[in-house]
Amino acid sequence: MLAFHNVRKAFRATVAVDGLSLEVRRGEVLGLLGPNGAGKTTSVNLAVGLLAPDQGRVEFAGGSPQQAAVRRRMGVAPQSLAIYDELTGEENVQFFARMHGLRGAPLRQRSAQAIALVGLDDRRRQRAGTYSGGMKRRLNLAAAIAHEPELLILDEPTAGVDPQSRNAIFENIVALRARGVTVIYTTHYMEEAERLCDRVAIVDRGRLLALDTVRGLVAAHGGHSRLHAVTERGEHTIEADDPVAELNRLQASERLLRFELERPSLEAVFLNLTGRTLRD
Amino acid sequence: MDAVLALALKDLRLLLRDRVGFFFTFFFPILYASFFGMIFSGQAGQRSAIRIHVVDHDATPESRRFVERLAAGDRLECAMVENEAAANDAVRRGRVAACLVLPRGFGARYAHPFARGLPEIELRIDPSRAAESGMLQGLLAGALFGSVQDLMTDPNALGAMVDQSLAELDQAGSQVDPLISGALRAFLPALRAFVERMPRGAGGGLAGAMEPKITITPIERQRFGPRNAYEISFPQGIVWGMLGCAAGFGIALVQERTRGTLMRLRISPVSPYQILAGKALACFLTTVLVAGLLLGFGYVVFGVRPGSWPLLSVAVLCAAVAFVGIMQLLSVLGRTEQAAGGIGWAILTVMAMLGGGMVPLFFMPTWMQQIGSISPVKWVVYALEGAIWRGFSPAEMLLPCGVLVAIGVVTFAIGVRAFSWSDAR
Repeated sequence: MLAFHNVRKAFRATVAVDGLSLEVRRGEVLGLLGPNGAGKTTSVNLAVGLLAPDQGRVEFAGGSPQQAAVRRRMGVAPQSLAIYDELTGEENVQFFARMHGLRGAPLRQRSAQAIALVGLDDRRRQRAGTYSGGMKRRLNLAAAIAHEPELLILDEPTAGVDPQSRNAIFENIVALRARGVTVIYTTHYMEEAERLCDRVAIVDRGRLLALDTVRGLVAAHGGHSRLHAVTERGEHTIEADDPVAELNRLQASERLLRFELERPSLEAVFLNLTGRTLRD
Repeated sequence: MDAVLALALKDLRLLLRDRVGFFFTFFFPILYASFFGMIFSGQAGQRSAIRIHVVDHDATPESRRFVERLAAGDRLECAMVENEAAANDAVRRGRVAACLVLPRGFGARYAHPFARGLPEIELRIDPSRAAESGMLQGLLAGALFGSVQDLMTDPNALGAMVDQSLAELDQAGSQVDPLISGALRAFLPALRAFVERMPRGAGGGLAGAMEPKITITPIERQRFGPRNAYEISFPQGIVWGMLGCAAGFGIALVQERTRGTLMRLRISPVSPYQILAGKALACFLTTVLVAGLLLGFGYVVFGVRPGSWPLLSVAVLCAAVAFVGIMQLLSVLGRTEQAAGGIGWAILTVMAMLGGGMVPLFFMPTWMQQIGSISPVKWVVYALEGAIWRGFSPAEMLLPCGVLVAIGVVTFAIGVRAFSWSDAR
């Protein structure tokens, strides 16, 4: 649906995206995981046509995102809260939906649906400036989905929000995926990627390091599971691909007092791929 | 076009909801124009009187009557001072405009101007106060001739003066030339008899006979000057309103960038040119609205009567075009609202200073007016005044309006070009 073909983008001497090639499948939630400065936002800007690649090409639904007709089928919730504090929630959503070509009854109807989806129905007539940070994030999302885009790009959509709003946003994304909306979700929170994403692309220093399902990434790059066991004879630490088999083997020879199992995570995947943690 | 309209309506809505911005865009110019109009036309209160000190060495009822007559109007505020040195010092320090000294014997001559001649008085005043000096001399002359007027309009006083003159003639005896003495002895009794027959009361004496018979035939003068001070202050107020619009919308455009809404708009299927056109349309409409509001207020409340409404409309539209361009240029001067606001207002203030937005153009020296030609404000004021009170013909309006449109087009083009290059990140 959206494809990067060997895309390179540099700002003077700084290479933000370096030979990126990836394809986003229709209906999936693709996580773009990487630390700050990894090139996620530049990739998003390339995907929505705000930037033109220095090299390679970006395609969406057979066209270039720099074409207005192609962008009409996209929705973006930028990392910054791109809403007008002086307008009400409803006015914000309707204004951006109108910018995407909606008019009349469909404009009002879809705006209302978007506001309801993000749970701001009871506050829709109040100015956005009176909203909490989490509510503004949800309004930011509503403004991106009112025109019913086929591709929704969420750039760090949970930055600086409370747990309640974060959960609400997760539920919104799950609901949108159920409707068939393709989602690109950039984040540097592994838990979010693990919870929401069908596939995760790990990027660092502008390069794509790996792309797979969370399970596939962990299996390929996460390393072994680690089993800590305490038996009558002492403590054991065992690294293994199949820790359950190891546990059974240990229990057959010694009386097991207690154990702890550490499975590899995306953090471990990232550490193994880059030699540093996501929060470095 | 629908997107441009939607963008413009959004901006107008944002402006209406920003109380501070709304006040400074719409009400500050009205306050500015009203305030300075009142100051220039002297309606902020009583017209300010010239303050003088009076040292009365004569201290007679006649000298006091003279001072009362002098202070009777609203032009002079007279304070009696006994210490002459203190009065001089007050003039030297600028606390009063002048010091008037009435010498001894003033009253006797004031009461009998025909017999003894008009009294002498001394006016002490700073030579640099030429305007006040001239006005004071006129007022003093009027008050001095007041005694003559009293005699001519009061038969009793005139009769008494004739009697006194005859008595003094008798006392003088041979000291007076016989020829003159004979003539006066023939004339004064005849005058006395005439005075006896004069009617008493209001309009008596020679007043009726001396009353000028003036027939007034109205011929309306071709008007080239402002009808009142508001016709000067309201064009300036409109300029400030337009400056506010340019600064406000320029900063708003920067704000769109900093809070991310510009990026969101650019991601939408709307072209960058439509986005800028929407902002320009909002600025244009607001500028025209501000001008219309001020002119309406000036018309209804302060009697501002434009010489030509069609030419004034053209002037307003051309000025709006200029300020839309300036707004676009201001929006690329700073990356943050603070920077754009600071730089923008610095430039606009200089424009206003040079162009007659603060001090009316005709108060400025010629060289200053020539330098002011580089400021768009001058051309706005010139075009507005041309339509309001300068009596410009359509041909004369071509120059200021052409300059304004050219400024608008050039600055808008530069602004758009700089904006499109600096925005993508």
